[in-house]
Amino acid sequence: MFDPRSSLFTVAKRDISSLSREKTIVLAICIQLFIAGFSSFLVVGLTSLYDPSSVDSEERLELAVTGEDQEKLVGAAAETDGPQLFRYDDREDAIGAFDSGDVDAVVSVSRSSAGDGTRLRVEAVVPAEDLKTTLIVVRLRELLTALERLERTERGAQLEFTPVEVPSDDAGSSSYFGFTYTILLPLLLFLPPFISGSIVVDSITEEIERGTLELLRVSPVDLIDIVDGKALAMVLLAPVQALLWILLLRANDIAIDHVGTLLVLVTAVATITVVVGVVLGLVTGRRRQAQLLYSVLVILLFGATVLLPEHPARTVALLSADSATTTTFAHVGGFAVVALSLYAVVRRYVGRVDPESL
Amino acid sequence: MTPRKLLRIAWWEVTRNAGGIDRRTLAVAFVILALFGLVTPLLLDGGVGLDDGLYRVGIDESSPYYPVVADDETFVVRPGADRADLRNGDVELLFEGATVQFRDNPKSLAAYGELRGTVERFNNEQLRLEENGTAAFPVSVLLEYRQRGGGGDSPRIEDDDAGDGGASDGTGPADDGEVDDAGPGDDPGSGDGEETDGTGDPTDGGGSGTGGTGDRGPSLGGDSGGGLGGISGPLSDDQVSGSPADISPPFPFQSLVLAFLFVIPLNFLIQAYGSTILSERINRRGELLLASPVSRFDIIGGKTLPYFLGGMALESVIAIGLFVVVHGELGGVVSLLAVAPLVLLFLGATFLGAMFARSFKELTFVTVTITVTLTSYAFVPAIFTDVGAVALISPLTLVVRDLQNEAITLGEFTFSTAPPLLCSGVFFGLGAGLYREEDMFDQRSLRGRLLDALVGPIPRAGGSSRLTARLDPYVALDLRTARQYVAVGGLTATLIPFVFVVQLLAIALLFALGEISLILVLVVVAIIEEIAKSLHVYASFQHRRFEPGLKTALALGVASGVGFFFAEKIALLAQLVGLPELAVGEAGLQGGIVPGPFALTVALFLLAPLVLHVVTAAISAVGASRGKRQYGIALCLAMLVHLAYNLTVVMAVV
Repeated sequence: MFDPRSSLFTVAKRDISSLSREKTIVLAICIQLFIAGFSSFLVVGLTSLYDPSSVDSEERLELAVTGEDQEKLVGAAAETDGPQLFRYDDREDAIGAFDSGDVDAVVSVSRSSAGDGTRLRVEAVVPAEDLKTTLIVVRLRELLTALERLERTERGAQLEFTPVEVPSDDAGSSSYFGFTYTILLPLLLFLPPFISGSIVVDSITEEIERGTLELLRVSPVDLIDIVDGKALAMVLLAPVQALLWILLLRANDIAIDHVGTLLVLVTAVATITVVVGVVLGLVTGRRRQAQLLYSVLVILLFGATVLLPEHPARTVALLSADSATTTTFAHVGGFAVVALSLYAVVRRYVGRVDPESL
Repeated sequence: MTPRKLLRIAWWEVTRNAGGIDRRTLAVAFVILALFGLVTPLLLDGGVGLDDGLYRVGIDESSPYYPVVADDETFVVRPGADRADLRNGDVELLFEGATVQFRDNPKSLAAYGELRGTVERFNNEQLRLEENGTAAFPVSVLLEYRQRGGGGDSPRIEDDDAGDGGASDGTGPADDGEVDDAGPGDDPGSGDGEETDGTGDPTDGGGSGTGGTGDRGPSLGGDSGGGLGGISGPLSDDQVSGSPADISPPFPFQSLVLAFLFVIPLNFLIQAYGSTILSERINRRGELLLASPVSRFDIIGGKTLPYFLGGMALESVIAIGLFVVVHGELGGVVSLLAVAPLVLLFLGATFLGAMFARSFKELTFVTVTITVTLTSYAFVPAIFTDVGAVALISPLTLVVRDLQNEAITLGEFTFSTAPPLLCSGVFFGLGAGLYREEDMFDQRSLRGRLLDALVGPIPRAGGSSRLTARLDPYVALDLRTARQYVAVGGLTATLIPFVFVVQLLAIALLFALGEISLILVLVVVAIIEEIAKSLHVYASFQHRRFEPGLKTALALGVASGVGFFFAEKIALLAQLVGLPELAVGEAGLQGGIVPGPFALTVALFLLAPLVLHVVTAAISAVGASRGKRQYGIALCLAMLVHLAYNLTVVMAVV
């Protein structure tokens, strides 16, 4: 007797093996690796440009100081283990030293009256178009913030609010933590579902356009089996890839919690994208229309999730970083329910589609 | 190529192409995009707050830090938590009065780092409410970016003017004292800067970049800067002013926005274009056109033209729109000219990809690869808009500069646009080589197709090729064998733009890494150049264009090496804009003018590279003549020789 379930797996297996035969899945994983690497590069590269303390450069900044109130800056510099100061009496001389590259920046400090009091006016000249500029500006900011703190304390009597003390900076915290959990991991987990849906669109429209769907239907399977098989293959592919990423991150000493729940979430999202792909593929029957609509629709859906109490990316972040709340789990459950019911609706729809019309 | 036929095919493509986008689909797509437009303000406005609730803090209301922590959504307050909770990892930070405790794990440490930023932000916000503005913000900073040694490049603006300009146009809110009559946050410009979502750095002056020259700067940086948490984007970054917390390093946020504005639409375009090309190859549909009395160049041109024009129309709308928004006037011709090669590059790569792909599924992956690679090519260098030469690798930098009304020299323009333009030429050329009945409809693997494409321009032994046959009337000798070698050398030369683009991308990606980047770039250079010199030689041996033999292989190596050498000297272009000022640039595009006696210059600049290219090409050619494995080994050997040579040169020169 013919077992309908085996035909489902046959179609699923056929689809997966065609992917591996064409080695496209390898390409897919390479692309994801590239995107992950690219975004990490962006962040690591930019963070190190932007926050030089993460590079831990030994080099001390060399500043030329001018102006009548340079003493104040010297005082502030003594507080931080910051830059080396060189005093200049004349601003022009200092600029000259700057132009010839002897100092990294020129800072002039003077007092100016403003409104109901006076204010220290700092004019800083930093090099334009230099790789070091970022470092210089950040170090300069540290120095000037120290100066501001000193001045504020001096004038504390005139203030109603006493600034809360900033905790000391000796913990050596990494600025990549937030990025890893809130951007990188959601990106890695949501990319596979997106690609899965796109492949389903291709897989269905290709059968229709090449006319091979007809051949499939000659075999003892009906349209629901074919769609089930194709959908199953792609839905399952997503959590497998997600698991790979999670294991890869774990191998890099990035702890990821709630792996099971994360995989449920990925599977649910993949089901939703696959359902969208299936419907678009069957309705349009042409790859170009279906792909165009698929990409805009999925972008819209992802954008619309901002209306949820918790954005899916945040759900991933909270789960993986072990900060999950009841709301987080409720979201995962919600996605699963939506995915299952959507799939049920689509099966009913497929059952009504007349294969002859495709 | 006949324009009339080409236009006819283009017209068909627009009106009745099988599988074209019909009106209904377009309408649906527009509705969806319109809906997305409704969501976008929410995205930008509220901030998605991806890290909300990431860190849990045990704190009592009595702690001075309570209002700080409660104010920042990144933290969740867990009242009544004790040390046991901290140990179990149920809270990341624990306050006991005014002292904070944390554990030595990444999450706790990250929470602590986040706390420092939050405290600074909180202080600044509270101080902004103070009546005595000068006591609250006793230091005002005016940051001036100055071209070193240039002297007059960035003229110092008079103190008063600079102060006015700085405060009146989107400086950070803390800057209110710079101009006495501007209250805290009551000028429209500073409103933008106040949004922070807590992900960034303590500064929140989203719009603080435009400074004294604010009239030229668009509000792009200010509007969207808030969403990213205080990454301020000085579009014309001569000066920045504010309190110390407001100054931040130049971050070219506008390049980011521009990249997305200009590049994202192209990705939709190539999806449709790839489908068109591939659908010709499905069920032998393209056979009809191929059999008609038009050349394949007419077909390719005709099929591409509508997409190119459509893409350019889209980009013009964006460019002109940007100019109207920024300057209030029409403009952007230079921007359009700069984007055109990018559009062509996207189309060219997609065309070749569609010629390679066997199925829609494969095409999807090929398109995604193209999207990712080319987006990074357009985007990564543009990040470094302030680092001059590196930025020019991407044509988008020209757009940024055009928007800033900065002068663009012809040399810079060429440097930026020629590689992508030539590259798209190579892509179209290789793809056109496959646009033949015998290649279009078979199902070969990607690798096989790549070799097919590469061997296309090399004539069969004794046969004639259109390219080299044109030499016949001028040269009396029998050149049939020589032609093959010329074709090999010529193909190597044609691949140069591609090599060039990859190297430039590598430079852009790697130069921020510091010392090690020089070596890494050299490795990339060796790999890509050796592949470009030998892959088609391997392909032609595989396709039996040449009889395997040591002499043939050596001759081919010489041909390929010489071809590469000549074309590489065109890379001298790079010197025009001074990219070699960067040590990395010099390494990548070696052949920098070596200081020293003339003879030495000639030797180092001309002779040595020539010898190098010939030798390495010969090594890999000999391997290629023997088989797949031998080719792999020989290629690695050639790469090593190349790398060793490069290292020696760099050590000697730098």
